[in-house]
Amino acid sequence: MNIIELRGVGKQYHSKTALSGIDMSIGEGDSVTVFGPNGAGKTTLLKIISGLMQATRGKTFYNNKVYSESDIKKEVFYLGHKTALYNALTVQENMNFICRLFSLDHRGKSIENALRDHGLWERRMDPVNELSQGMKKRLALAKGFITNPEVFILDEPFTGLDLGWRSSVLSKIKNIRKRGKSVVISTHLVEEGYALADRVAFLHKGKLLFIKKKEEAEIGEIYSLFDSLGENIR
Amino acid sequence: MKTNRIIIFLFLSLLILMPLDFFLIFRVAPTERVMGDVQRIFYLHISLAMAAFLSLTVVFISSIIFLWKKDLKWDTAASVSAEIGVLFATLVLITGSLWARPIWNVWWTWDPRLLTVLILWFIYIGYFLLRGGIADRFRKAQYSAVIGIIGYVDIPVVRYATKWWKSIHPLLTKQGGGLDPVMKKVMFFSMATFFVLTVFLFLFRFRLARMEERLLILKKRMED
Amino acid sequence: MKFMHDAVSILRKDILLEIRGKESLSLMLFLSLLFLVIFNFALDIDKENVSLLASGILWVIFSFTGILGMGRTSMSERDEEAYLSIVFSPVSAESFYAGKVLSNLLFLLLMEAFTLVFFAVLFDFEKIIGMLPQLLPVLLLGTLGFALVGTLFSFLATASRYGEVLLPFLYLPVVVPVILGGVSSMDIILNGKPGGPGRWLQIMAVFDMLYLSISLLLFRYIIED
Repeated sequence: MNIIELRGVGKQYHSKTALSGIDMSIGEGDSVTVFGPNGAGKTTLLKIISGLMQATRGKTFYNNKVYSESDIKKEVFYLGHKTALYNALTVQENMNFICRLFSLDHRGKSIENALRDHGLWERRMDPVNELSQGMKKRLALAKGFITNPEVFILDEPFTGLDLGWRSSVLSKIKNIRKRGKSVVISTHLVEEGYALADRVAFLHKGKLLFIKKKEEAEIGEIYSLFDSLGENIR
Repeated sequence: MKTNRIIIFLFLSLLILMPLDFFLIFRVAPTERVMGDVQRIFYLHISLAMAAFLSLTVVFISSIIFLWKKDLKWDTAASVSAEIGVLFATLVLITGSLWARPIWNVWWTWDPRLLTVLILWFIYIGYFLLRGGIADRFRKAQYSAVIGIIGYVDIPVVRYATKWWKSIHPLLTKQGGGLDPVMKKVMFFSMATFFVLTVFLFLFRFRLARMEERLLILKKRMED
Repeated sequence: MKFMHDAVSILRKDILLEIRGKESLSLMLFLSLLFLVIFNFALDIDKENVSLLASGILWVIFSFTGILGMGRTSMSERDEEAYLSIVFSPVSAESFYAGKVLSNLLFLLLMEAFTLVFFAVLFDFEKIIGMLPQLLPVLLLGTLGFALVGTLFSFLATASRYGEVLLPFLYLPVVVPVILGGVSSMDIILNGKPGGPGRWLQIMAVFDMLYLSISLLLFRYIIED
């Protein structure tokens, strides 16, 4: 069953068409990686999928019904370029706040487990602005573990991270997949994106060049697409 | 094409209406007994105020429709209407000031009606400052629609509050009998003329803004 | 029930944020103290005129200091796009707004209390503290009006390139009825002027109800992208 479906979705900015004619669906436990060079419209696409932004064209369905913003936002975990954390609050306080928003018990073990899982338990009393970029990213992901939504939408989750952090964030996202959640990520890192995907999509100038099963798309194909667009991604 | 024809028609009729209006104001309308010739500015002042109010009503309605339909053409309608509204409001303030000088012997008076226009003027200047500060076209439209609505509903409250605060506006009557019938007719004609002017300016400016937008899109496409 | 619970969660978070970051309230307190000092130079306040000048000075401080503080609390939501954690939660846009209004209201009232005390101390005007029970409705209605408009506008203005600088331009003209009401009714109470503050309180109450309903409708449009 499709959780989210886009039909003929387009987004028009003032003078620029950011997206046009996007058809795609995200099923239960599905994992889609959207590749594309900078400025291809990846962020816009992910914002529309998450319900944060409204398309100017086409229709968006959520559980086969026309979008209702409040419905979808409960079931979506969205991580954009920013971490959506309160910098002045401590790690623990950020987690407590999330629990309150979702009316979850914040005294139980769930926060502890999520923080331990992400290697942040020792730092729980530190304010977020004292954490490294990689730790912030992992804390942001840990919030998703607590709230347990159906769909994770991660926009460039590896940007600004060095290799070590990159692989640790990668394994966290793999954990999400193991729990049967749907994951949509955008990236221009071919290795990582390919490793996570059931299906791969390539976005260029606001249009989907393809969206197909991983088995039908060689990793080399994606590399050569990037190369042909003159993007240096290695 | 059809709008073009309307615009041209309105322009041509204004070529007749405007001079006629001024002729009526300065030659036909009788001289007011107490204030003398200065009172004639009143016909412009009131017509301008009506035009400004009309424009801001269009901003308000277009803003609501934009938030509902999310179609950027309503935002364009709101913003060009706000431009016209600010222009007319500025003229209201200037004519009010010109009038106040000989009548009350001051350049500015804290009269509630004038004060309401001044505060409106500030609000819609803020509207344009906000628009200038947001690059994303859609967000710009969304946010300025919020201001367009908030600013408009403020009008009656400001009006009432300032009135309660102070009222020294003169009553333009001859022994409380209302306006002289000729004065009334001239006033009506003047308001009608400015109504046509507002509609003309709106359509003209709206068309121009739409064309600018289309040009920008075409330019972008050429670059790509 | 859920509505209030969510709003209070956001209020609690803002109080905690203030304790940790000291970005809004503490800033307002310093600024208000600074204003009092400057007004002392500018107006040459003494025992004779203090009663007449008080309400004007106080409401100028309340409005300028308040909008600065509200700008700060909105910036703390915009930083790192922290507010998205509220957007992507079961909390409705309306309770988000209500929560922010509550925290702004609380901080503004604390700032006003502080300002009143310092005003009384610096200008030897204890009378104003004694009259607090009569002044309370004025302060509550006026500050609520500030918080209702300020919460909406500060969230809106901080998204623009000019950020908080834009805020006074949008905010001050709209709250003119509140400033008028606050200044006039406080003046009537402090100086025993005829008529009483009744009508002004009504005007402020109407303003509050009007902006509460409109802002609840409009807030969702400024947290979308």
